[in-house]
Amino acid sequence: MTKNQRLVYIALLAAQAVIISLIERSIPSPFFFMPGAKIGLANIITCIALYTLSVKDAGKVVLIRIILATLLGGTLSTFIYSSAGALLSFLSMLAVKKLHILPISLIGVSMAGAVFHNVGQLLVASWIAQTPAVMLYLPVQSIIGIMTGFAIGITANYLLKHVDRLHYYTFLRST
Amino acid sequence: MRNVITTLKIGDIMIMILLLLISFTPLAIFTWQQAQVDGEKLIAVISLENEVTHEINLSEHEGHELFDIVTHDHEINTIELSDGRIQIKSATCNDQVCVRTGFINRAGQTIICLPHQLVIEIQNVGDEHIVDDQVDIISS
Repeated sequence: MTKNQRLVYIALLAAQAVIISLIERSIPSPFFFMPGAKIGLANIITCIALYTLSVKDAGKVVLIRIILATLLGGTLSTFIYSSAGALLSFLSMLAVKKLHILPISLIGVSMAGAVFHNVGQLLVASWIAQTPAVMLYLPVQSIIGIMTGFAIGITANYLLKHVDRLHYYTFLRST
Repeated sequence: MRNVITTLKIGDIMIMILLLLISFTPLAIFTWQQAQVDGEKLIAVISLENEVTHEINLSEHEGHELFDIVTHDHEINTIELSDGRIQIKSATCNDQVCVRTGFINRAGQTIICLPHQLVIEIQNVGDEHIVDDQVDIISS
């Protein structure tokens, strides 16, 4: 990948992630009993970025997504929540991906990302509410997170396998 | 379906189990802490913007009560007490998470209204701790 190709690719991924999170915001959450829980469609892009770009560039994609999504209809508090969630989820996905003890597919990486996104948000919530009891919501959130992470992992896996360009970039990344 | 099974690896299952364990740790720590307290005396601690405004003795509470908690921005949460249970009956916040939580009556349960920074937490204080019974709900 030349430098220009890489820049355009980063910009494309970031743009797609922003659009996906905007669209997701406008569809009602399927988890009506747990407001705040969402599918996390934008995580597809983070997964793709992690598998086709270097760590630094994947981080840039996430950063651009958070900032732009906030500017396009977020508030300061949603910014704090989503950046804490995104940071923790990115780090955990990275850690799981680098774990070479067991064979791990994208599904595991995406599940870790989803669960730690919740951990990050609940940590911020318990900091704002000044009570650790907020963390007691974690089990419910995590079970939803594991299910959505599973679905997102399969989707991203499918994209990486069947979109030629992505497949080629994954190959480049792994060599 | 076969496609899914071939891509799911043994490590993924391990990660899933690990994540589940992680998510239940706060609950485990909390239950362990509660087990250290002798006796059972439940109080509902209501705090607004990180300051405790009410402490209500739930174990000895009987009957039915309604009262409002008003934030500095004139937002209102209506609290309902009913035979040792507590809930937020209605609120002027936009997400209504607190209202949908419903009644709580066991130690460790919480109702949180993040937009108003209102937290209701049930604590088990054991036998020795004495709370001013029925803190001036009516006068407030």
